[in-house]
Amino acid sequence: MATEILTYEYDVVVIGAGGAGLRAAIEARAHGKSVAIVCKSLFGKAHTVMAEGGAAAAMGNVNAHDNWMVHFRDTMRGGKFLNNPRMAELHAKEAPDRVWELEEWGALFDRTKDGKISQRNFGGHEYPRLAHVGDRTGLELIRTLQQAVVSFQQKDFKEHGDYEARVKVFQEHTVTRLLKDGDRIAGAFGYRREDGRFVLFKAPAVVLATGGVGKTFKVTSNSWEYTGDGHALALLAGATLINMECIQFHPTGMVWPPSIKGALVTESVRGDGGVLRNSEGKRFMFDYVPDVFRKQYAETEEEADRWYEDPDNNRRPPELLPRDEVARSINSEVKAGRGTPHGGVFLDVSTRLPAEQILKRLPSMYHQFKELADVDITAEPMEVGPTCHYVMGGVEVDPDTAASTVPGLFAAGEVAGGMHGSNRLGGNSLSDLLVFGRRAGLGAAEYIDGLAAGGRPAVSDADVEAARVEALAPLEHDGGENPYTVHAELQQTMNDLVGIIRREAEVAAAVEKLAEFRERREKISAPGTRTFNPGWHLALDLRNMLLVADCVAKAALERQESRGGHTREDYPAMSAEWRKINLVCSLDEQGLAQLERKPVPTIRKDLLELFELSELKKYMTDEELEGLEDAK
Amino acid sequence: MPAATSDPEFMTITVQVKRYIPETEETRWDEWQVQALPTWRILDALHQIKWELDGTLTFRRSCAHGVCGSDAMRINGRNRLACKSLVKDLNPDKPITVEPIQGLPVIKDLVVDMDPFLQAYRDVKPFLIAHGNEPTKERLQSQKDRDRFDDTTKCILCAACTTSCPVFWTDGQYFGPAAIVNAHRFIFDSRDDAAEERLEILNEREGVWRCRTTFNCTEACPRGIQITQAIAEVKRALITRRV
Repeated sequence: MATEILTYEYDVVVIGAGGAGLRAAIEARAHGKSVAIVCKSLFGKAHTVMAEGGAAAAMGNVNAHDNWMVHFRDTMRGGKFLNNPRMAELHAKEAPDRVWELEEWGALFDRTKDGKISQRNFGGHEYPRLAHVGDRTGLELIRTLQQAVVSFQQKDFKEHGDYEARVKVFQEHTVTRLLKDGDRIAGAFGYRREDGRFVLFKAPAVVLATGGVGKTFKVTSNSWEYTGDGHALALLAGATLINMECIQFHPTGMVWPPSIKGALVTESVRGDGGVLRNSEGKRFMFDYVPDVFRKQYAETEEEADRWYEDPDNNRRPPELLPRDEVARSINSEVKAGRGTPHGGVFLDVSTRLPAEQILKRLPSMYHQFKELADVDITAEPMEVGPTCHYVMGGVEVDPDTAASTVPGLFAAGEVAGGMHGSNRLGGNSLSDLLVFGRRAGLGAAEYIDGLAAGGRPAVSDADVEAARVEALAPLEHDGGENPYTVHAELQQTMNDLVGIIRREAEVAAAVEKLAEFRERREKISAPGTRTFNPGWHLALDLRNMLLVADCVAKAALERQESRGGHTREDYPAMSAEWRKINLVCSLDEQGLAQLERKPVPTIRKDLLELFELSELKKYMTDEELEGLEDAK
Repeated sequence: MPAATSDPEFMTITVQVKRYIPETEETRWDEWQVQALPTWRILDALHQIKWELDGTLTFRRSCAHGVCGSDAMRINGRNRLACKSLVKDLNPDKPITVEPIQGLPVIKDLVVDMDPFLQAYRDVKPFLIAHGNEPTKERLQSQKDRDRFDDTTKCILCAACTTSCPVFWTDGQYFGPAAIVNAHRFIFDSRDDAAEERLEILNEREGVWRCRTTFNCTEACPRGIQITQAIAEVKRALITRRV
């Protein structure tokens, strides 16, 4: 039995059942395609559930001045202009429709007085823009998409007598290899976690929606699934990744107690009025407003405090700068000896909002601190510090179709690169999932329609056998190293040497260490059988984490500037020359990461004209701005 | 994480786990001593065992923050999430017992087959059913109407409630509290037009009337949902046919 491979045939295989994967699956199914949704955890438990703040969409419900152009501008500023401009444009234009559609499907939202979807302030967004449900927006988003899948399944039952006639969820399954026929995708190979049986999906199109890479770092807000599977599968299939050096460290993770270090404290705390203070009680963010943002942020506490009531006549508090700025500032304060007892800074909402407001707006945060740290956030400040939260880098895709460079392979959500440039704004992830999840599902459906009759690619037996042998290897070694030991050392290395502030010698040392880890992984052994064996699963996930870490470290070494989620102590400034460059990662013949410099797609003139020339000059070369006149 | 056992705060705790070995169909209790901090969660202790003492120990967990609902277990005889139960809140002088949640088939160790649970969820049609034209933007809903069913939208489908219910233990056909909570979420949603349809489903033999109001579910819910009250509201709606 153990050698028999369970084989399925579908039009589209979606790997990952978070927001992007489910939205892609729904779109492909709506276009008449049969869809397999494959996910490592139980259906509905995806990392998306942890998104707290909301989905950014310029609906203008709270401030009528908002529109897609303002959202586009904020997104480009947040990403320090390394964004793929077409992706940022599509995202800003389509996010409102995706949120309204979610509401139509039944999602719960907090409401304005006139019954519309309410929107909240967030870092880097000029207007209140995040549609939300208290601080559990991601959970509601996943639940709504899960419900939409269930509703499709019930329709299919009525028509075909089988709930799973058109959409089947393969939960607790892991894909270890994508399979190709020539240069095109032909399927995916993996295993069922429950009993370790191998599964083979024959399909002309695969959508990667596997999320991020946070589990390569020690201090992270990410859940266990975030082992860079999609990034690695794409590389191994011959696709390319861009700008993997851009990793977002969220400024506010819990720093105590130690067992939960890194757990996220939502940005909504600051959006709703919370402030950051150092051990001397000073609101230090006023000291850290960078030149490019000086125009939009308040210079005094008085002005910042007036902004909450009168945003049209005052500038924003600097606590609401984009995440990369806030994270670096916290890091500097702690380093300068002005940190809290547990090595963070204070985040205080207790003196800013009445207790009942805090309980209503931030219930999850209240419970998280009360239960895990014994801190009552309505009465005392929290202690917070940076935590690895998101990877901006990812699979290089076509903005309109989400197609990668490999025919038949698509990617959406965190696993895709380009949308967020060098730094993502809070709230732009949930909207990204919806906008590009839909586009990936559509892209896959159209790709299949375009295949000539009888043109479905075929899986080769040799490839399946190679995948099988590779997957079994950790079980067949005896007396090798424990996979958890290698994982823990990898996490420590990435944290220490390729973390929030990077130095050339340290990153170079990390590259060396990674080579050593790769050798050790070859000899890892996982005791036990194939039945729900977590050691075996980790040994396989480690291949992916090591591949991704190699890309991150090499790209971090290569980019000699500081921009967004990539800070080089030895190159502290942004460089207009480097802004034009995407670092494109692929695998060489030995299976190691190699880099190539390619131009960032140019920004269309009509999009450039949304900015003042004086602002663009801070990011771009004179050459790039030639012929552009100041509109104002 | 830890293992800095020089930290004076560390203490030795004993963790007993009820394991099921599918290959041999054997059920047994295993016991480990773990160096733990009082602020550790039971999840941390289980990780420590899995990472350093026995790599075959199997349990589900995902977000580890009490949001995804993967790690419901029976800890010291009570259903809880392992990621929200602290060592210091249990008695560390006695062995801490960890068992799979009850009433669902065990696959391995602490992992149970969730399919029967999720089937009951699917049976109550857990999606908005609205007739009439599709709106171009959002439907309007007052904050008051939205607050009406706020509590039951907090459900994370962890099964802590359903598997603490004595009726569910003895009658696996009973929908169970979680499914009723998820039906409540739509029955009382002002935008939904299918309250009648859902109430009929819950009026069936294995539906809401099997509830004996023991409040186990409400006590077990890690999200603090007033489950027994939600069930009572569904019962009342069935009698009065008004929502």
